[in-house]
Amino acid sequence: MTSDARAREHRPEVLLDTLKRLGFGLAVTVPDGWLGEILVRIEREPAMKLVRATHEEEALAIACGGRLGGVRTVLIVQNVGLLSMGAGMVCLAQRYQFPLLILVSYRGTVEDPVYYHIPKGRATEPVLRGLGLAHVRVDPARPIGPQVEAAATYAEESSSPFALLLSREDVQW
Amino acid sequence: MVKNERPSREDYYRVLVSRLPKDALVVTALGNASYLWARMHHRAENFYVEDAMGLALPLAIGLALAQPARRLVAVEGDGGLLMHMGALVTLGAVAPKNLTVLLIDNGVHAASGGQALTSQTLDFAALARAAAIDQAAHVATPGAFSDALRAALCEDGPQVFVLSTAPDLELVVPPLAMDPVLIKHRFIAAVGAPPYVPKLFGGGRLGRE
Repeated sequence: MTSDARAREHRPEVLLDTLKRLGFGLAVTVPDGWLGEILVRIEREPAMKLVRATHEEEALAIACGGRLGGVRTVLIVQNVGLLSMGAGMVCLAQRYQFPLLILVSYRGTVEDPVYYHIPKGRATEPVLRGLGLAHVRVDPARPIGPQVEAAATYAEESSSPFALLLSREDVQW
Repeated sequence: MVKNERPSREDYYRVLVSRLPKDALVVTALGNASYLWARMHHRAENFYVEDAMGLALPLAIGLALAQPARRLVAVEGDGGLLMHMGALVTLGAVAPKNLTVLLIDNGVHAASGGQALTSQTLDFAALARAAAIDQAAHVATPGAFSDALRAALCEDGPQVFVLSTAPDLELVVPPLAMDPVLIKHRFIAAVGAPPYVPKLFGGGRLGRE
């Protein structure tokens, strides 16, 4: 893909199309400012069910249940949600080896220097390493679709959760 | 002499064994909720949640959505629900028709030695009704539980039954290895969920072999 084509790619739309193509039937979320519109779009998809949870650790457990029942399941949260679901991640998702794709709006980075997000941005990747949660930050120079597919495939092949850290352009409609 | 003792977890489980539909799925919370159920009625259709306190109910919500044709019974503890009370609100919002929740209301953290909970004044059934779960009731005897469960399993859910239960602080030794991955794979096979086919074998997707 040329740089012009990359510039024309509407990354949230491609991200959603990739989830549909891969057969994701359940999305579980606690929203974030960047995620509002894509969640509405998922809610309108006839082949997908969106569950809005009250807390990210609860969302993680709902996602584990969906995958246990044989439905490809994506968890969509802000990075603060990864910080607050640590116990469930270790005791449930990782211990029982649930393959889950986790799409994360990555707030508080140098591209998103909102003062109250910055502490979360600073803590996120060290915490993920501490948890042993496999993750990667999306490459903005590459198309988003293959990166989502690679993350989803890694989760399934490794029987473990995998977090894809997204920038605003990847997910905010 | 009039006895005023609450029934045991085993008393309620005996009723559940007798009323459980053959193809129903069961999710049980940590501690004796899982260990005693495994001892009384182990089957591949049981998913035992060890540790992960408060996550049996939300896991059951996701499972109920993924398996809408199977009846699902979830056993959660009062301490677990207090830890993730928001799951009750999600249950009311999602309203899976195939899910019946049994809340063991023993007033203590039984799995950690019987420390008192802070829910003495809390009406869990009223709480469930406030979360739009119309079929929520207190149950105080095995006989009442038997009647309630028989009716519930013939109707659409969700239902929440708050079972007044005596604390059981003695740890039950389960009759089988509580290997989490084995529990998961045995359950998936019993449910007939499609396995993931690795890319090496031409897959990269969920599908039937």
